[in-house]
Amino acid sequence: MSTVPAQSPTTPVPMAVIKPWHTRLRERLFGYAIRVILQGLITVWAVTTFTFFLIRLMPGNPVDIKIDQLMQQGIPYEIARNQAMGLFAFNPDEPLPVQYLAYLGNLLRFDLGNSITNPGVRVIDQIAAFLPWTLFSVGSGLLISFALGVTLGTAMAYWRGSVFDNVLTAIASILYGIPDYIIALLLLIVGGVQLRLFQIGELRGAVDPGIAPGLTLEYIGSVLKHALLPVSTYVLASVGGWILTMKSSTIATLGEDYIAVAKARGLPERRILTAYVARNAMLPLVTRLAISIGFVVGGSVIVEELFQYPGLGRSLLRAINSRDYTTMQGIFLVISISVVVSNMLADLMMGWLDPRIRLGKGHRD
Amino acid sequence: MAERPVLQVRNVSISYLARRGRVRAVSDVSFDLHEGETLALIGESGCGKSTLNLGLIRQLPANATIDSGSILYTRRDGQIVDVLKLRPQELRRFLWSEVSMVFQGALNALNPVLRVSDVVYDTASAHGMPRAEAKRRALDLFARVRLDPERVFNAYPHELSGGMRQRVLLAISLLLRPQIVLMDEPTTAVDILTQRSILDVLEKLRDELNFSVIFVSHDLAVAAEIADTVATMYAGKIVEHGPVNDVFYRPRHAYTLSLLNAAPRLSAGAEELASIPGSPPDLIQPPPGCKFHPRCRFASDLCRDKEPELVSKEAGHLVACHHSDEVLATSREVRA
Repeated sequence: MSTVPAQSPTTPVPMAVIKPWHTRLRERLFGYAIRVILQGLITVWAVTTFTFFLIRLMPGNPVDIKIDQLMQQGIPYEIARNQAMGLFAFNPDEPLPVQYLAYLGNLLRFDLGNSITNPGVRVIDQIAAFLPWTLFSVGSGLLISFALGVTLGTAMAYWRGSVFDNVLTAIASILYGIPDYIIALLLLIVGGVQLRLFQIGELRGAVDPGIAPGLTLEYIGSVLKHALLPVSTYVLASVGGWILTMKSSTIATLGEDYIAVAKARGLPERRILTAYVARNAMLPLVTRLAISIGFVVGGSVIVEELFQYPGLGRSLLRAINSRDYTTMQGIFLVISISVVVSNMLADLMMGWLDPRIRLGKGHRD
Repeated sequence: MAERPVLQVRNVSISYLARRGRVRAVSDVSFDLHEGETLALIGESGCGKSTLNLGLIRQLPANATIDSGSILYTRRDGQIVDVLKLRPQELRRFLWSEVSMVFQGALNALNPVLRVSDVVYDTASAHGMPRAEAKRRALDLFARVRLDPERVFNAYPHELSGGMRQRVLLAISLLLRPQIVLMDEPTTAVDILTQRSILDVLEKLRDELNFSVIFVSHDLAVAAEIADTVATMYAGKIVEHGPVNDVFYRPRHAYTLSLLNAAPRLSAGAEELASIPGSPPDLIQPPPGCKFHPRCRFASDLCRDKEPELVSKEAGHLVACHHSDEVLATSREVRA
């Protein structure tokens, strides 16, 4: 007698036992998070180490620069050197490895140290004062240009070959080719000097002096007024790229079979546009957006200097000019952290938007 | 087969606007499709069979226009509508609930970022079917096409094999109980065993649910197996149309005969395979007279001057050939 139970051929083959989705999600996220955080920490450490030595390879050091400045005022070298050495809590003769270990040790205690050229000012306080303005201006510029680019690019793909499409494609290509600092200069020269649309001097800084910070109409208006030029620059400089990418991506998506099938199924145009066309066409742009977010912090150096906008980019430029090592290190640390974090964000968003990638991660674990 | 025609196509012509001029992809095509009938459209690539299929539900690419004709569709309540005169909103509601379609590229016909269930719900809500009913019906159809219903319903397309996706598409085409399902080479993208199982499933579904099918294929064996009637297309025209056994065993058009002789048969040796000389005609400047005459071994002066009409030779067997009797005699000889 056979002990093997007879199985009816019509019985469906049982699937492998599947754990409830939330358990699977938690396990996957946990393993994934640990890996991603470790990777991120290693990246940040590598970048800080690299920049630590790189900025010390620049000709001169804070003391040398200060001595130069003092000597130009007619002070003899010996006196200038003594003054400069006394001014800064920085010893250029200390060996590099010692400096590096001290820096790492402080970093582990989340201590970024004091600014070398502004004695008594903590680097962390400088960053806290300047970072919000950069985040606000570059961030809103990025979001505005992304939203504008996606909308216009989709519309151009829908009406490709029309006058609207041809004109905007030309404009977008031109804008795409102009660097942001040229746009900033054009705005200043044409708008401020030739047409006199605004007083350049009044627009320096992030707010009008003498207005108390707070949620008052006056303060917000002043903030917006000062951010208008930098934000316009960022929008004009990046919207071309978004438009062109979104247009070509949408055209490619419109040719996909599943769009034809969706139309044949009698779906409303709006549903096809959102869930079928835009959702798929935006996939390649999401990665770009997340990576751009990472460069928000560092991507504004020259523009902020041109508009005298008190952001992190402008203070980075000043720190470089005076060889303020600690401030530079602090700002580079912020930049590298934001790049790493935004790449993580890109991964997460892609996984959320594209199920094919989501599954790939599950399999690798 | 019931007598009531569910679709009456009359003098439909479709052309594409190309750089060189107008391409007449479908010219002056007329046929009836009856309730429960499966019609196979056969012919070479570029003969207009896929264009005709897409034109029937007005899903042609933007550079194509339907120049003339009418497509009369009989609703279940007996009301007759001309598909070509439907307004956009009416057409949207007509699609899939009356005539649905199974597309060629099974691998890419499902939106990669949506679950199968979303596709089902999207289709249902576009036509006012409640979600619960849509789900119940989808699960039933998935079981009928031999899929694991619950698993497939919650799957993303990339989690399914090519054959499974093709069966999902087949099931979804029947979601709204259409009277007609158009199929464009539904088995070409899958391997021979999957093809077998899809054809089995299709035949079973057709017997159970009683819908009509227009089946575009260049695979004569598949057409012979599944079709009730066959229409041969050449250069945008139907040149022969009749019951499957008549057309395949007693072809009366020289082109159908050539097609059959070009297809391998189990009963015959390989040496009998004969390719058709030449290539399909230029549809911007088609040859005068019968469009097949440059490639036809029966061609005479009459064929070069006068285009033959599609006329009835025996019950339900239409043919457009000046030498149909000769062709019939030859085909009896060859296939005896």
